[in-house]
Amino acid sequence: MNSLRGWRLWTVLGFLVASAGLPALTPNDYLLQVLFRIALFAALGLAWNLVGGYAGQLSLGHVAYFGVGAYGLALFTAHSVPKWISVFLAASVAALFAAVIGSIVFRLRGPYFTLSTIAFAEVLRLTATNLNITGGAIGLTTPALFTGSSFWTLFYLSAVILAFITFLVNYWVSRSRFGYYLLAIREDEDTASAVGIDTAGYKLRALLISAFVTALGGALYASAFQFIVPDNVFTIDISVQIAIITMLGGAGTLPGPVLGSVLLLGASEMFKSQFKESHLLIYGLLIVVVVLFLPEGIVGGFEQRLRNRKKTPVDAAKALALGGD
Amino acid sequence: MTPFLQACINGLLTGALYALIGMGLALIFGVMRIVNFAHGAFLMAGMYVTFLLFDKFRINPYLGFLPAGILLFAFGYLVYRLLIQPVRDKSDFMQILMTTGISLILVSGAQLMFGADYRQTSIELVTSVLRFGPFTINAAALLSFVIAAFFIVGLQLFVTRTRTGEALRAIAQNREVAPLMGINVTRIQGLSFALGIAFAGIAGGLLLPALYLFPTVGEDYTLKAFVIVVLGGMGSIEGAAAGGLALGVAESITSLYLGNQWALAIDFVLFLLMLSLKPSGIFGRQRA
Repeated sequence: MNSLRGWRLWTVLGFLVASAGLPALTPNDYLLQVLFRIALFAALGLAWNLVGGYAGQLSLGHVAYFGVGAYGLALFTAHSVPKWISVFLAASVAALFAAVIGSIVFRLRGPYFTLSTIAFAEVLRLTATNLNITGGAIGLTTPALFTGSSFWTLFYLSAVILAFITFLVNYWVSRSRFGYYLLAIREDEDTASAVGIDTAGYKLRALLISAFVTALGGALYASAFQFIVPDNVFTIDISVQIAIITMLGGAGTLPGPVLGSVLLLGASEMFKSQFKESHLLIYGLLIVVVVLFLPEGIVGGFEQRLRNRKKTPVDAAKALALGGD
Repeated sequence: MTPFLQACINGLLTGALYALIGMGLALIFGVMRIVNFAHGAFLMAGMYVTFLLFDKFRINPYLGFLPAGILLFAFGYLVYRLLIQPVRDKSDFMQILMTTGISLILVSGAQLMFGADYRQTSIELVTSVLRFGPFTINAAALLSFVIAAFFIVGLQLFVTRTRTGEALRAIAQNREVAPLMGINVTRIQGLSFALGIAFAGIAGGLLLPALYLFPTVGEDYTLKAFVIVVLGGMGSIEGAAAGGLALGVAESITSLYLGNQWALAIDFVLFLLMLSLKPSGIFGRQRA
């Protein structure tokens, strides 16, 4: 992976400053809310990228951690834990869930893996729907982390910060030995394990980080909308959305999830006014197009082209060589 | 004891429809190694076709399921040629994404065409009840059970007794060698996919009278279909039939003792238990 120097560093910093400055140009609450969701899903996509991108494990159950973050915030604050401590407690609980779920699902591969991630998320949704302490189908109210007139600006900025931190985590992973192990697992799990990589252990570590961030995102979302129901924060739609955003932009790339979130949420927002509940159509069509014509995603396809021109060995070969020593 | 047995009977009646759904998915998985995440969406499409036939032409759903199945067969073949065939040699990752995309298109397409309203077919059969000693059986459920049983046996005979069925099993056993034996893999895979989709459509038609119809009605059934197929051993068609019946009974008993709201949860609990303890399925051999 390329290092953050020269024009890349300036692009990232420029993008960050521009993102942070956006609220000054858009004092409109609706637009700010859209921006909040774009930044939030960029963070969620980046978190998913660790598992789905670098390690190549197609999880369609990430909403489990999102929901645990949301419900965790509601339940901890209801027991008079301070708001911000609740956010991080909820994320830690989600990481705990991830440890349990991961130890089961990572023994499975391919479709079995994907199906079992969905199943765990659904079990959580049904549990939240049926238990009294989670408010059943009626749901719970969640406290607002910020109040006042700059409500959406502050939420948007926290989502930007979350996305930026997750971006740095991705950057660190992409350049570390840990990241190369994940790539090796993605390319060929049997070979990776044969050369001595603890595949289950590394996949689990990636999931723990991913789940922690996803739960932070869930808590932020719950707090911004101040009300959660199981069908809203445990819906499989969110899992799919996170995965598609990352795939569209380019799984296993740094800018991919950010680009995917801007494009997909932007497009879906425009379609929403026209097609109302059918705006998911654009997701379906985009998935089909990406799979057929852009299997590496936008950024991935672009990088592939660059690599072919420079004729440097592919990352996977490097990863395997590194894993072997 | 009577409530328990009654729950078992009800479970078997529902289970026959689950078997149809599961067998379709197993057929597709067995022959193509593709997990069809759009299975429930196709089932929903079958429901809408049957509903439209009822709504516009007053065709009874217990007849309307048949044209719905035929239409879904053709549609399934088209989807295979356009969207599935290009990804059949790609990674699981891409195949899962593709079928997820197809599912989203079908569901939001239905939302666009029919709106999100709940619809219902009112036919008398659904409310009539037959009595057998201490047990009661819903006439409509019994009828759909009989129809489902007919198709279950039919598919089983087709797969085991016909030349095409033999080709189908050959591909399931070995994708690489089958074409060397003169089998047209593309044609057989297209046929299997279309048949699997047709079965989902037929099950949708048969489920219609008993359910409310709305665009996302199929979602639960995609997940149920996976559970059924995992219970029966991935890719095993007769296993899926047994898995469907087993799931119907398990759900029915769960609703009896824990209440309706936990019936869906038992699906996933069974599923996760199965995957972690015996991934080859209750009835499965090591490889289907």
